[in-house]
Amino acid sequence: MSSEGKRRGCRGAVVAAAAALALVASGCSSTGTSTGSGGSAGTAADSGKSSTVKIDLTARGCEPKPAKIPAGPVDFNVTNSGAGAVSEAELRTADLGKILGEQENLTPGLSGGFSLTLQPGTYKVSCPGASQPHWTFTVTGKATGPSWPSNPQLAAAVQGYAGYVKQNTAGLVSHTQAFCQAIDAGNLNQAKMLYPQARVYYERIEPVAEVWGSLDTQIDGRWENPVTVASRFIGFHKLEQLMWQDKTLAGAPKLCAGLVTNEQQLLTLVSNAQYNPLEMASGATDLVNEAATGKISGEEERYSNTDLPVFAANMEAAMKVVSLLQPYLQHQDPGALVLIKQRNDAVTSQLAHFKASPGYDGTGYVDYSTVTQAERRQLSAAVNALAEALSKLSAQVSA
Amino acid sequence: MSAGRQAEEQLRQPPPGEVSGQSGPSRRRLLTVAGLFGAGAVAGGLTGYFTASQDEPAAAGAGTQTVPFYGAHQAGIITPAQDRLAFGALNVASTAARTDLRDLLREWTGAAARMASGRLVGEDSVPEAPPVDTGEALGSAVGRLTITIGYGPSLFDQRFGLAARKPSALADLPPLPNENLDADYTGGDLCIQACSDDPLVAFHAVRNLARIGMGVVEHDWMELGFGRTSATSAAQATPRNLLGFKDGTRNIKAEQTDLLNQHVWVGRETDQPWLRGGSYLVTRKIRMFVENWDRDYLRDQENVIGRAKVSGAPLSGGSEFSPPDFTAGGADGQPAIPADAHIRLASPEHNGGTRILRRGYSFTDGIDPQAGTLLGGLFFIAFMKDPAQFVQLQRSLAGDALNEYIHHTGSAVFACPPGLRPGQHWGDTLFA
Repeated sequence: MSSEGKRRGCRGAVVAAAAALALVASGCSSTGTSTGSGGSAGTAADSGKSSTVKIDLTARGCEPKPAKIPAGPVDFNVTNSGAGAVSEAELRTADLGKILGEQENLTPGLSGGFSLTLQPGTYKVSCPGASQPHWTFTVTGKATGPSWPSNPQLAAAVQGYAGYVKQNTAGLVSHTQAFCQAIDAGNLNQAKMLYPQARVYYERIEPVAEVWGSLDTQIDGRWENPVTVASRFIGFHKLEQLMWQDKTLAGAPKLCAGLVTNEQQLLTLVSNAQYNPLEMASGATDLVNEAATGKISGEEERYSNTDLPVFAANMEAAMKVVSLLQPYLQHQDPGALVLIKQRNDAVTSQLAHFKASPGYDGTGYVDYSTVTQAERRQLSAAVNALAEALSKLSAQVSA
Repeated sequence: MSAGRQAEEQLRQPPPGEVSGQSGPSRRRLLTVAGLFGAGAVAGGLTGYFTASQDEPAAAGAGTQTVPFYGAHQAGIITPAQDRLAFGALNVASTAARTDLRDLLREWTGAAARMASGRLVGEDSVPEAPPVDTGEALGSAVGRLTITIGYGPSLFDQRFGLAARKPSALADLPPLPNENLDADYTGGDLCIQACSDDPLVAFHAVRNLARIGMGVVEHDWMELGFGRTSATSAAQATPRNLLGFKDGTRNIKAEQTDLLNQHVWVGRETDQPWLRGGSYLVTRKIRMFVENWDRDYLRDQENVIGRAKVSGAPLSGGSEFSPPDFTAGGADGQPAIPADAHIRLASPEHNGGTRILRRGYSFTDGIDPQAGTLLGGLFFIAFMKDPAQFVQLQRSLAGDALNEYIHHTGSAVFACPPGLRPGQHWGDTLFA
């Protein structure tokens, strides 16, 4: 699908960044320049007792004072009393891979800050341009977390989901590699057959991949998102356009190699990611929503018309979430499970009308452009009904 | 009473400012309204599309106020947003000449001034002729009708000798994030924005101006807005858009003269003196995938927007009008207002201080024939000193969490000339 800019990582995500061992929340930068003094002190006050850490930007660095605090809300007050070459302080994960909070554009004389709630672990305070740009920062105490991990059924569901996502991301990489081989060999027909085979893996993990917004865009962005700039239209759909619309493989090998590189990066991120039941359930709804908008309209695979196999992949992944949560939901809300099953059956029977062997470009389905408006509308109604039933699950599993 | 007779009754009403003892509103009522609303932009007087009986209680009260047509700026920009919109984009016919266009703008001025004061566009004197006014607004209250016009970039091509009058800032918008534009709802040589608290009155205004222009202009596209989504005055409550959230809490308000001069009114910076005191209008037809949105859980909806749904307060705390604190941290270690929240990315703080005056409306075109889902959303309208302001903001929204639920499907930009004094006409300075 294309994320259309969706970046759940920054708002309570499916996934938490893995790099920092004890970091439960994924980090997103929080920036803001204060021309006055005081920065944002006190903004995290409602979450409990907050700590204050002072950072003065100097040519030498950005030593946090104190360098060790207890877990919980913390205000970083950043000042620059005269370091011309240093204008920014960042809190990063210990491997420097992720910025959790930052204050930019602090020229000498300015002060500012940012606030975060931190779990125990080791972090780095970074200030690019200083003679020592990275300073160790430690958060002590016990991690506080949600209650679901103590429920064995939910914990098993989450673990099962992590395996499912990892497996499908690995499948994405290997099938894209096969697709690229056909491209490299100049075999357009074979490449067209292999394209949808790789696509279905992405469509199963989409709500997870979207957490890393820019990566999602690079892999799956359509022309119109997020920037409508040709140089940034580089993923699957650019290759789709070349093969079906322009009928050429010129330039495709390089694009395909870049696609694989991005997918491998995704695999690394996914392998270290953490999940939770709420976003699993919400992600299932997102998958069906996505089918209801991008696939029904034919926008997703607008050059190839291979919408039906990716549509089926969305449904399959949504129902995988349901089956993983089933042991828990059976007690919690058996009626919801029955309704979801009925509605999924309705989608499946609609979809069966469009199955074919070997089908269009070997997809097992007909060319989507041959599906009439009336048929699309029937399919859409069934899909929306399923999504509606799925949307009730998030409250059930958010224990 | 026949429609013709009613029209005659209607036409006997005095123009605003004059008080007639015969068929106009009573002096007592005028004074009451003036006392309630004061002079100025809110209400110019009490007229309206009265029917035969002036004394019917139903004719008085809300909805009968008028907004002055003449003034330094066109009405309908900082006028407190009316409830309903009719928006027409028109193209000049291929057979029309420069003089036809100039004459039409003059004719439109008179018709618009009459309608804004609560009168029909013309009198029927010959029963064998088609009625001058289409008539559907007869009996409706004028509802603060404003009629605002603008000139699109294409008007300044070689056809009418206006190339040298083209403001350098007036051009089609560049490709922008998250758009898939439908040519049927994009562009236009001219636009007419009619706003009223009565939908029929707004529609009537666009219909009649288009009718007057038949042969010289033709409709390119048209949209109706059924509910305002912006407050443009501190006296107005913030309305909600189809996402169910308050929209425009931080909008520029009519009372903020400094901000209007800084961000909305074209000033001496323009290369075209005729445009000074005017403004640029950018409109975007934004489809909302409301079914998907409605399935999202409440906390996520609030995170997407960056505000609490019911109160409208920013997630950094406080009440609706508390300034958002974009540096505040939340309980989970993430920013209280997420990094990809709509209000963060659209904020002046995130855009080097850039602001625009929003004046949009909820719309629906019915049901998507292919998907069976709602074809509707926000018919976004904004006024600004330079269209580059909108371009900057829209580019900032490339990573907006809301993009999952919306899509821009139509787009247009127009230069709206300044207001007129009585006796002046639209186009006078443009064609001078």
